Amino acid sequence: MNRQVAVVGMGGIFPACQSVEEFSGKIFTNQSLVRRWDEAVVLGKQVRSNVSGFITLEEAGLSAQWSTIAPGYPDTLLDLRERIPYENLATSDIGSVWAMLSSLDAVKTGGWNKQEVESERTGIAIGSGGGGHSILRPSWNSFFNDGKKSRALGPHGVGRAMTYRDAANVSCLLKTKGLSESLGSACATGLGNIGYAYRMIKYGIQDRMIAGGVEGTSIETFIGFDAMSILSRGFEPELSSRPFDKNRSGFVCSFGAAVVALEELELAKARGAEILAVINGFHANSDGDGNMFAPSYEGQKRLWKGLKADVPGLKPDVVKAHATSTPVGDAIELFSIVSELGEEGYHISAPKSQFGHMLGAAGSVEFIVALQMLKNQKVAPCLNSEELSDTREAMQDLDTWIGPNNPMAAYRHLIPAHSLEKEINQITCLNYGFGGTNAAMSISKYEGK
Amino acid sequence: MTRQDVLNGIVKILQDVKTVDQEALKKVSEDSDFIADLGLPSTELINIIAKAEDEFGLEFEDDDVDALGSKVADTIDLVMRTQQPAK
Repeated sequence: MNRQVAVVGMGGIFPACQSVEEFSGKIFTNQSLVRRWDEAVVLGKQVRSNVSGFITLEEAGLSAQWSTIAPGYPDTLLDLRERIPYENLATSDIGSVWAMLSSLDAVKTGGWNKQEVESERTGIAIGSGGGGHSILRPSWNSFFNDGKKSRALGPHGVGRAMTYRDAANVSCLLKTKGLSESLGSACATGLGNIGYAYRMIKYGIQDRMIAGGVEGTSIETFIGFDAMSILSRGFEPELSSRPFDKNRSGFVCSFGAAVVALEELELAKARGAEILAVINGFHANSDGDGNMFAPSYEGQKRLWKGLKADVPGLKPDVVKAHATSTPVGDAIELFSIVSELGEEGYHISAPKSQFGHMLGAAGSVEFIVALQMLKNQKVAPCLNSEELSDTREAMQDLDTWIGPNNPMAAYRHLIPAHSLEKEINQITCLNYGFGGTNAAMSISKYEGK
Repeated sequence: MTRQDVLNGIVKILQDVKTVDQEALKKVSEDSDFIADLGLPSTELINIIAKAEDEFGLEFEDDDVDALGSKVADTIDLVMRTQQPAK
């Protein structure tokens, strides 16, 4: 059995963009989608940071009908563009609605008919990084602080906040009959779900998969990361996310969604589908060092080893890096890439520089950026990487250090601060998450007939 | 509060429930069934009950809610009974 997996469709919800096309246009014209966020600004000194790549209800064509009993709790979200039926909106939080909108677009661009969508051979793998915080907060306020009965919130609290709410709502909307699951791996969730979906098709368990990651706009999620003092601070919004730059001070907490439609290659070819990319391989592992937060050079080296084993002759033209804009994370990632691929012959792209870190959606939204790089033959930039450090990182002076010895500035030529055109046939996508989880995928331009 | 007042209050609640058939709601009567006639998903019945408690300023007994039928008249009966408890 030598099944290959094609990417045939995509959809997403992006900050300050109404479509994949608009998103792609802004990416390759070096625009930032990070803005000052009024929901954080009103919190004043309660929070360190107040910039985000956020998406309002209105920007996604949605509104809410708020409960008259529990303040801040939506009786239901409403779709102002009538894309999703009321019964599906009733069971959703904001992220699930984005998952459904993204999936509708992925199926539409993928060109699957009703029979294909509703098949036992079509599955769902979509996850989120966070819980249903924006649903749980008003729920618990109503119950514990205001003393309201549990039924005051209606019947949808569980469905809107459960771990696999995104996959569940998409499956109910599309009426797929294959597996429906959510993998959670923190900030590797988006790529992890696509990788899982790829394996389901490659190993013959499903023929088609709708896969991706979602992170619904949530001030509660933002507050959690703000508390860790790991968010960027001290820059204007558009300058805040600056992977690899020597003045980087943390990531920008952002939100979004992206879903792709995957299909076994021969099936896609047989129906004349437009093939956006072929997935060459996937590998995921753990650091195994017992550290919840710190990135691991050795863990990333083993990640590359696993990907290379899955993709013989791996030779990416672009590495779509995780590159969050944190001081240690970017350095370790750059050094692990250089040690694996050498000092020439590829570029490193850092999409978080333009829209921040979308957490559970990061891997899938950045996967769409990678698809756009293949399509447009342009490298998405590492915005704001104005100057790289010309002094060695502290980790490089440790006796235990086994990586490259040059300072980050020695690799400036690999990191374009602005979009550039070049021939791109293969891209490696990298994402990592808390808990020491790592994911890597290789995709290629489809050259076959 | 008369039964008609309660019916009017229930209609007001249902006008904001997007899954309710709003055309059918125009012809609603005590004999109407929330699920069969108005298209309300059965899971939403508890929503109507909670909103009725809020609308009429009452608190229903859990046993009464558990035993409630899906006719509009059943909810009106519950409201009338709860606002005038038997002595």
